[in-house]
Amino acid sequence: MLTREEGEEEQEEEEEAKGRRRAFSINDNVDLLAEILGRLDGRSLAVAGCVCRLWSAVGRRDSVWEAVCHRHVAGGGSSAAGGGCSTRSVVAALGGYRRLYRLCIGPALDRLAGSAGGRGSTTTTAAAAAAHHLSLSLSLSLFSIDCYERLGGRQQRPASLLFLCKPVDVS
Amino acid sequence: MKRGHQDTLHGGGCWYAVAPETERGKRKTTMGASEEGGDVDELLAALGYKVRSSDMADVAHKLEQLEMAMVSSATTNDDALLSHLASDTVHYNPSDLSTWVDSILSELNAPPPPLPTPPPPPSADAYDLKPLPAIPAPAAPLVLGTDPQSEVAPSPRDRKRMKVCSSPPSSSTTTDAATSAAAALPVVVVDSQEAGIRLVHALLACAEAVQQDNLKAADALVKQISVLATSQGGAMRKVAGYFAEALARRIYRPQPRGGVGCCSFDSVAFDDMLHMHFYESCPFLKFAHFTANQAILEAFAGCRRVHVVDFGMRQGMQWPALLQALALRPGGPPSFRLTGIGPPQPDNSDALQEVGWKLAQLAESIRVDFRYRGFVAASLADLEPYMLLDQDADGGGGGKDEEPEAVAVNSVFELHRLLARPGALEKVLGTVRAVRPRIVTVVEQEANHNGGTFQERFTEALHYYSTIFDSLEGGAAAVGADDVGPDQALSEVYLGRQICNVVACEGAERTERHETLAQWRGRMDRAGFDPVPIGSNAFKQASMLLALFAGGDGYRVEEKDGCLTLGWHTRPLIATSAWRVAAPAEDPLSASAAR
Repeated sequence: MLTREEGEEEQEEEEEAKGRRRAFSINDNVDLLAEILGRLDGRSLAVAGCVCRLWSAVGRRDSVWEAVCHRHVAGGGSSAAGGGCSTRSVVAALGGYRRLYRLCIGPALDRLAGSAGGRGSTTTTAAAAAAHHLSLSLSLSLFSIDCYERLGGRQQRPASLLFLCKPVDVS
Repeated sequence: MKRGHQDTLHGGGCWYAVAPETERGKRKTTMGASEEGGDVDELLAALGYKVRSSDMADVAHKLEQLEMAMVSSATTNDDALLSHLASDTVHYNPSDLSTWVDSILSELNAPPPPLPTPPPPPSADAYDLKPLPAIPAPAAPLVLGTDPQSEVAPSPRDRKRMKVCSSPPSSSTTTDAATSAAAALPVVVVDSQEAGIRLVHALLACAEAVQQDNLKAADALVKQISVLATSQGGAMRKVAGYFAEALARRIYRPQPRGGVGCCSFDSVAFDDMLHMHFYESCPFLKFAHFTANQAILEAFAGCRRVHVVDFGMRQGMQWPALLQALALRPGGPPSFRLTGIGPPQPDNSDALQEVGWKLAQLAESIRVDFRYRGFVAASLADLEPYMLLDQDADGGGGGKDEEPEAVAVNSVFELHRLLARPGALEKVLGTVRAVRPRIVTVVEQEANHNGGTFQERFTEALHYYSTIFDSLEGGAAAVGADDVGPDQALSEVYLGRQICNVVACEGAERTERHETLAQWRGRMDRAGFDPVPIGSNAFKQASMLLALFAGGDGYRVEEKDGCLTLGWHTRPLIATSAWRVAAPAEDPLSASAAR
């Protein structure tokens, strides 16, 4: 009897300790999860979306991708609230930040990193620097052109961004 | 022993080591180097050599080849060759390293067996102009068979950039070169490098023959060119092909009859399709659009009503980016009006309206107040100011209580076509002035393809289009063959049509009358426009855009007196400039109300 009680007590203690350790689960607090995911780079965020349904749902939020875009691109983060709102509405109208990243910013960053790496020698820090020089306005311009091409619907596949990468099926 | 032989010649080996040898032999002063256009390498000029900076890599490469050829022939104990070079060859103008090394290379590749040498062609005196058609004469005259029997060794250095080796200032002395080339056609195609040099010279000689109406010689040379072109690879082959075709058209159809232009199998839709592929595959149009948009955006700062007139609407690819930028500008978007001008469509489809509709959809989604009007005009000169001015229903000439429109006029590769008819450009610029624009953006090719003589045009065009084709190759090589799809090929067709127009057409049909930035500056100045410098924002955006292009290492954005140029390596290819009306005593905002 005593041993069982002790055993139970121990078990309870253990459970309590475990509970304390498990008291905070990231999945309980979705906004916090979104905040954290928003600090990843694009590729990692896409990978994180494969973890579970919750992460996939959170990882698709445009606000998360908005944070990612602004983090990786110059000229985006400093906008005032008003500026931010209008940018958001325009980007939403054109297809959203996730699409913006997938079509423009991601390939552009890859291309910049690739070419800087390809030149090899001098700079890997310059690669990072070059990446940050990619401006939001340029990305948005390219994005808007792509969006415009897709409006045509009928015949051509949109090709204005082909110079960045292989054709991407964005659906 | 090798070194000994080399010492008796100029050049060979490391080319800085050439310096001591300049004391012996001929040496031309290089003070006259400035006639070459001022881009002669200064260090070499100090040593007595005239080499254009743009040719440097090429010349170094050829000197390397020369050394290897001499070394290899020395190792095989082929003394005859070297001693021939050392003693029998007459060296002309060695200070012009480029042509000199070409000639030596061609001699090496055509080793002379003991044959009675035919009398040296009389044009040997004008060596520095057209050496190669005369050179094969001392070599064994091989008959030009139906297939070039030669071992065309596709050298790994296939992608030789084609350079015009020397700028021939005048061609009066080389009449005989053309005829002798026609008469004796020994073509020894040994390797593609050397064939490339011959190819260039054949092209130039053919152009000269055409200029002098020596159609027989030109005909023979065109055939020679076609054969030589097949031995090349990549950009050079394509360029040579297009130029050969254009020359052939010019030779066989000298006067186009009934207004049938050389490239008039076009439908406008075909042309638009080519234009789209050109847009997609290389950065020139994108650069043009981005820089022009930036200039327009800056000019429109603070205006609530804006109007853009586009002289070449096509698919309207320039405007989504401007709409987006206006939507996001601090202070919110203005109300935006767009007037698009396009050529008449043969099949009655209203392409202009479709483009307008798409743009309207986009504008609506990003909440920019948008109005559109399309104008069909066979030529820009048909436009009148009243068509472009504000014809609002509520205003009737621009309401006085509303802020008048700020107008921007945009022309991408359109103005040069007007030069085909005298007076057209002046009329159009007058119309532009009458609209009182805040800014006029002009993008044009940076080349003089409207020069006085055919030969000048041809030479310029050869250089220009080979540079462009090179840049296309550079991009394609970086991306990989599969991904590119038909874009590159169709872009080349697009450029090929331009080449055809420059070379084969004349008079009112030759619409590709490109002129340089300096010439356009003069024209705009005379028409009463002041330059507006394009800011650094545009420069940064353009540089970033180019960094995104694969193989974009070769592209250079440069700023020249407030205008931006995009070039490949050292050669500027297109230039964007911005202008406003020079109106000293008038308030530019009192615009259309008075009209």
